[in-house]
Amino acid sequence: MSMSDNSFRPDVFRAEPPTLLGSHCGSCGRKAFPPREVCPSCGEPSLGDPVELSRQGRIYSYTVVRQAPPGLSTPYVLGYVDLPDDGVRVMSRIESVRDGDVRIGAPVALDAREDPGQPEPKRMFVFRTGGEPA
Amino acid sequence: MILDPVHVAGAGMIRFGKHPAETTLETMGAQAATAAMRDAGVRAADVEALYVGHVFGGPVAGQRIGARIGLAGKPVSNHENYCSSGATALREAWIAVGAGLYDLVLVVGVEKMTDRVKGGVQPDPNDLDASIGFLFAAGHALSARRYMADYGATREQIAAVAVKNHAHSVANPYAQYQKPVSLGEVLGARPIAEPLGLLDCSPISDGAAAVVVASRAGLRRLGIRSAPRVAACALVSGTVQAGLGDVNEEDISRRAGAEAYRIAGVAADEIDVVEMHDCFTIAEIVRLEGLGVLPRGEGARLTEAGYTSLGGALPVNPSGGLLSRGHPVGATGAAQVCELFWQLTGRAGGRQVEGATTGLAYCKGGSVSGTDGASVTTVILTT
Repeated sequence: MSMSDNSFRPDVFRAEPPTLLGSHCGSCGRKAFPPREVCPSCGEPSLGDPVELSRQGRIYSYTVVRQAPPGLSTPYVLGYVDLPDDGVRVMSRIESVRDGDVRIGAPVALDAREDPGQPEPKRMFVFRTGGEPA
Repeated sequence: MILDPVHVAGAGMIRFGKHPAETTLETMGAQAATAAMRDAGVRAADVEALYVGHVFGGPVAGQRIGARIGLAGKPVSNHENYCSSGATALREAWIAVGAGLYDLVLVVGVEKMTDRVKGGVQPDPNDLDASIGFLFAAGHALSARRYMADYGATREQIAAVAVKNHAHSVANPYAQYQKPVSLGEVLGARPIAEPLGLLDCSPISDGAAAVVVASRAGLRRLGIRSAPRVAACALVSGTVQAGLGDVNEEDISRRAGAEAYRIAGVAADEIDVVEMHDCFTIAEIVRLEGLGVLPRGEGARLTEAGYTSLGGALPVNPSGGLLSRGHPVGATGAAQVCELFWQLTGRAGGRQVEGATTGLAYCKGGSVSGTDGASVTTVILTT
């Protein structure tokens, strides 16, 4: 996996274009995120190469974090995003396009954002409201 | 294999809270250990092994404590399972005594947090969730919002957990707070991770708790005729959550409960009192449902109705729980067992659950990205 796109975690995310990487079971066909060596559904070994996951999701639940340890600037929105095409749930930062559009069931689309928590600028995944890829 | 009967022969703890810098982890651990040994009437020379649970205590904290209290040279082991470290230490002691290796051992849970943890606790930095800004408070906020949406529970019903547990703590001299809070105070508290506010969250605390664990021969050696029995000390870890299921399914709690009921031969409806890991208000509700002691989706409403209050059908956290006793993470599991010991021996004073003969303690520690938790320990004590 290339480090050249500055992903904060090249094992789970490609920043250019923004892509989440999951594992794929050769036996039952289900996907998992983050990637697992063993399929969580059927226990068989996952196929070798990671698969690209869908960029379209829906908010399953969310919270506005108002207090965090040093190094994390608040407030920020954290949520579970469901990717129905893959049957996978992802915990992610969520960024709002308009006030009030972060709600359960709202469509969101994958993007990349700067990760301020790193000594060198890295890019991490984020889902933005509005539902269309940025 | 079937373990021999294992008993709690004595318990001791120090008041949880924010202790000054000079009150070190070693001081607190030694104080709780000494109190438990005095309670059981056991001399250090007769303690055969020491099991210590802690998270932030650094390498070999257990040996540092042991050297202070006359246990140098004995088998000492350190146990880390995040917030269930103390309970995990107890489990190892239970196995060793039940297997016949020892007759008298000491379990200590201890943590010094207030000088080293700020703003909330997180998973290990190498865990994916931590790297995107996950905090335990945020995880429980996600659970709370979904619980309200799925079951029609109100914010007030969830806050009722904090009101109840703080009310209980007034009669617990070991609790950090010991003062009641009103529903308005919980709802009006500073937001931490919406919808949860400051009083929905257990505090960052210092403290230590200890129990003496004994075989029947150990009890005889101490001249103790009867003592509560550790009927089960189950341990499970979280499973990877495949698919798009209910985040509040609490399968880990169901499995932890089922394993404890199986080992103890006790049914969920035989439990008289619960010490529940209420690190956050919503956690008490969904975990009780997972254990099968409250119906799914009813926990918030039943809490508001007083079902889990002292005097209710199933008192939960007569000690004040983590919310009010405090949550020095490695000490919590041991403190829960101290409370059950005092409840089952009729020594719980103004917070006594009358006639309690079977108690369950639930202790959960840590998280791993994509799973329903890291570790849950469930302890059943019977008279």
